Amino acid sequence: MPLSCSGLSVAYGPRLALNAFDLTLGKGEIRVLIGPNGSGKSTALHALAGLIAPSGGEVSVGGRAVASFSRRDLAKRLSFLPQQPAAPDEMTVEQLVRQGRFAHVGLFRSYSARDVEAVRWALDSTGLTGLAERNLRELSGGERQRAWISAALAQEAEILLLDEPTSFLDIGHQVEVLDLICRLSRERRVTIVMAIHDLNQAMSVCDRISLLDKGERVFDGVPADLAASGLIERIFNVRGRFVTIADTRAPHFDVELARH
Amino acid sequence: MTGLTVAARQSLDRPIWIILPLALILIVLAVFLGVADLSPAMVLDVLTGHGSENARLIITDIRIPRIATGILAGIHFAVAGLLLQTITRNPLADPSIMGISQGATLAVTIFLFFAVYWFDSDPHKVYQLPVAWLPAVGLFGGLAAGAVIFLLARRHDLGPLRITLCGIAVGAVLHALAMGLIAGWGSARIEIVLQWLSGSLYARSWEHVLFLLPFTVAGLLVLPFLRRSIDLLRFEAPVALSFGFPYRAQFTVVLMIACGLAASAVGVTGPIIFIGLIVPHLARFIAGSRFNLVLPLTLLLGAVIVTAGDLIGRLAGGAEEIPIGVVSAIGGAPILLALLRRIR
Ligand SMILES: Nc1ncnc2c1ncn2[C@@H]1O[C@H](COP(=O)(O)OP(=O)(O)O)[C@@H](O)[C@H]1O
Ligand SMILES: [Mg+2]
Repeated sequence: MPLSCSGLSVAYGPRLALNAFDLTLGKGEIRVLIGPNGSGKSTALHALAGLIAPSGGEVSVGGRAVASFSRRDLAKRLSFLPQQPAAPDEMTVEQLVRQGRFAHVGLFRSYSARDVEAVRWALDSTGLTGLAERNLRELSGGERQRAWISAALAQEAEILLLDEPTSFLDIGHQVEVLDLICRLSRERRVTIVMAIHDLNQAMSVCDRISLLDKGERVFDGVPADLAASGLIERIFNVRGRFVTIADTRAPHFDVELARH
Repeated sequence: MTGLTVAARQSLDRPIWIILPLALILIVLAVFLGVADLSPAMVLDVLTGHGSENARLIITDIRIPRIATGILAGIHFAVAGLLLQTITRNPLADPSIMGISQGATLAVTIFLFFAVYWFDSDPHKVYQLPVAWLPAVGLFGGLAAGAVIFLLARRHDLGPLRITLCGIAVGAVLHALAMGLIAGWGSARIEIVLQWLSGSLYARSWEHVLFLLPFTVAGLLVLPFLRRSIDLLRFEAPVALSFGFPYRAQFTVVLMIACGLAASAVGVTGPIIFIGLIVPHLARFIAGSRFNLVLPLTLLLGAVIVTAGDLIGRLAGGAEEIPIGVVSAIGGAPILLALLRRIR
């Protein structure tokens, strides 16, 4: 069991941002977190990455408590990409992606052929080889986001946590990122948890989906069951219906706009 | 495509090899030129081991130690500025944001205030005051202020913004206390404090060089081992931690080195803080995309600019020389404005 948590609670001051969150992932599984803004998706991902101390519950990575890892040992197994990270100015794409190897090289060891190969693979997988020498400042929002994903890939961890990796990408690049995530899961058996806003993309890319609302996990299961639960309309306060596109694919949510 | 951008970028990079000969020429000039009228031949005589007693005194006991102190202090200020700008992710950071110059100023002020009683000297006679103690007192004050700010910021999780705000607040209080003390005085003590506050290399001797040297050597020995830390400290903490970087520990190490370098230099020369602000920007500008040159260039330019500033101050002011702190602020302000225009 690569990653799990039970009863995970996080409080900011007196307010609970996440309440008794449970999650269990199998190897190579893709889990999507959805929920309205402020429902606790980012908070859950930060707690899973060991970046905030929970007020209750525990996260375990490979059966071991996340708090018992050194940052570097944890980073070899788990890689986390925050929502909209700020890039230092004066840094090229390749320099950013090389930082992703820190867990392997540490403070002093120089980059081996293995490290260089991992960086090359990460750049290639995100279609950035041609932009490697570019300054991050000179990139479009989408290109910069791919550079960050590339840095997370260079880490070559078996668990990948991504907070809204497709926001601010055009539809073509969104699909590219989702395809890449599927490939990582199928070919490299990487276990993935990501927060994502597009409901239909979420339903089609994931194995299982968790729905959060005000820090509570209100649903956990396969997309077809979520479609049948009627929760989406209630939690997101929208009207619409799920339509079947094909037997092999997750149902598609069709929103009803007020002007009809 | 890639090849083209690389080529285009490199053609934009400024030539660096030119700085080294310029630095050497500058140091030679600084030895040969000065207020005391020694002909080049007389200076050469001294350097080759001859020369009159008087000339030898001026060159080996006044000019050379003064230049050496300036070079070391310039390196200290510039490197401390680069480290502080990196870890606070604030392009306007310099040793004053860690309260170092204000802490040193207050310590020196308090010391001079009480020195009159301890050393039983006449406060109207400047040279009887124990000025030899000032570097150690300034170092202590600077380090103490840095430690207070560090501990305050640590209680609030060491965010770069927190540490900057703590630094500004504590620095302002220390500065106000020092000014309050000075305002209550008459006498020659004011003259010493004002001279010290303007940042000066006047009458700096081999003792000052020896005072600085251990800090310089220690700092320069650890710097090569900090290159990767300095890269990673430029990221926000959650990102750096996710890469596996021990953020807090490394933040603390780099901060301590910056404080040690800055406080020792402030103790010897007084606050020449502008160097710490401007040299890292100049180094980044010259390095262009060759990021790994920023650190060595910062070091070199720190030494060069203090030497040049001091030479200008000595020559322009005549017998009443202009302190390096004043020269660097007047000359540095326009350079800084020009460089900052490049930042979005
Ligand atoms: N650092 C913080 N301090 C205080 N409250 C926070 C902090 N981060 C998030 N919150 C609050 O916790 C709740 C959950 O936020 P978040 O996990 O960012 O939601 P999501 O990612 O689902 O939009 C929100 O109400 C938010 O205002
Ligand atoms: Mg979020």
